[in-house]
Amino acid sequence: MHTETNQTISRVAEIIIDELKLEDVTPQTFDPDLDLVDEVGVDSMDLATVALVLRDEFGVRIDEDDYPKLTTVRIIAQYLDDKRNESE
Amino acid sequence: MTIIKEEYTFSEILANPKIKERWQKVRRYFFLRESTYDMSNRCNIRCQGCYYYVGDKQFARENRDEQAWRHLLHKEKERGITFVVLAGAEPSLVANLCRVCYEVIPLGAIATNGLIAIPADIDYRIHISVWGNDRTSEKVRGAADMLGRQIANYQDDPRAVFIYTFTPDNIAEAREVTATLADCGQSISFNMFSAPVGYQGPLRHTADSLGKTREMMAELLADYPQNVLFSTYNIVAHTEPQGLHDLFSCSYPRSNQSTDIGLGRSFRQYRTDLQWDREAACCVPDTDCADCRHYAAGSAVVTARMYRHAVDPETFSAWLDYVDTYLAVWVRGYEKGQNLCNSYIHPPVKKQ
Repeated sequence: MHTETNQTISRVAEIIIDELKLEDVTPQTFDPDLDLVDEVGVDSMDLATVALVLRDEFGVRIDEDDYPKLTTVRIIAQYLDDKRNESE
Repeated sequence: MTIIKEEYTFSEILANPKIKERWQKVRRYFFLRESTYDMSNRCNIRCQGCYYYVGDKQFARENRDEQAWRHLLHKEKERGITFVVLAGAEPSLVANLCRVCYEVIPLGAIATNGLIAIPADIDYRIHISVWGNDRTSEKVRGAADMLGRQIANYQDDPRAVFIYTFTPDNIAEAREVTATLADCGQSISFNMFSAPVGYQGPLRHTADSLGKTREMMAELLADYPQNVLFSTYNIVAHTEPQGLHDLFSCSYPRSNQSTDIGLGRSFRQYRTDLQWDREAACCVPDTDCADCRHYAAGSAVVTARMYRHAVDPETFSAWLDYVDTYLAVWVRGYEKGQNLCNSYIHPPVKKQ
């Protein structure tokens, strides 16, 4: 489970970096506990874009009401892993 | 036989080159963060059903100090606001304050009745309100020869967009007004009268007037594609029996308790005393939320619901048309593209 989450964290970080064109950061150096709204400057449209790419990648639908909870890469990764485990 | 998939992935939707191109065009503007500002509590006319003169905001002290406004706008910029909407009651009466806003935050729009020209150096979008032909305007707004004076003030002005507000009483005359504006090379977009809280007058839309408005909007969009900034999905979103809140869950603070992200976090509606109240904060305060079909509200509320529209190419195209229209109407220099979806798509409901 721990490895699974670490892999998910890395992939989520990669998607966020790619979609939001973040510079000077890699999936390896992206702090998974960084607050995406307060410290990265992500807004609702950015998050909706990321959510669509994550939907494609992980086959998990992210409820609009859950957006506000998804404040860090680690929380997003955990959310995705939980949803996938629920559906198994 | 055409096989219609139940659900597409986002990458499958973007595999259509026209959709992908439009998506890339509009997403460059996702940095826009809006707040609105009442500039003056005075107006040179008095319109029936005006939402400004309902509720407490009309009684706020008018702050005319340029330094106070400059300080506020710098603070707004610091907290991430990139787009200002200057409204209530009539901003052209305080052009100097509008200029201060423009000097600090250069993207924005001004809502005006158009009877006093706003100086050209304030390079915001200018939304000029039209409520029918001159006979109707004189009756509802108490001002004579409105359209001619508005056009004269903004002839050949690339900032100008005329906003025609449909009421049950002025649907048919939208054709003559649009023709006049098109003859003068003006751009026009559409608004829906949205009743202020407690309003029970004749301007409130009915099922019948919504249907007739829908037909007229579609005719004008087809007949004046170079002048009318609108899309089929705009028509749907603003003429459904349900208002915008019921269709899309309004995300302005007044209807949205969350302060975590989006409009609920960043949007403020400042009154003329430079104060704001979260409980009243939306782009059309003191409007009855159940009746709100206002174009300014839709620009934020429909746009924010990208995720639920990304279910198939047609629905996503409809949403892209809406966003493309919103940007063309509100942002100086943004050119509207050809609409991608001319079918009537019912607004998708939120999926769990």
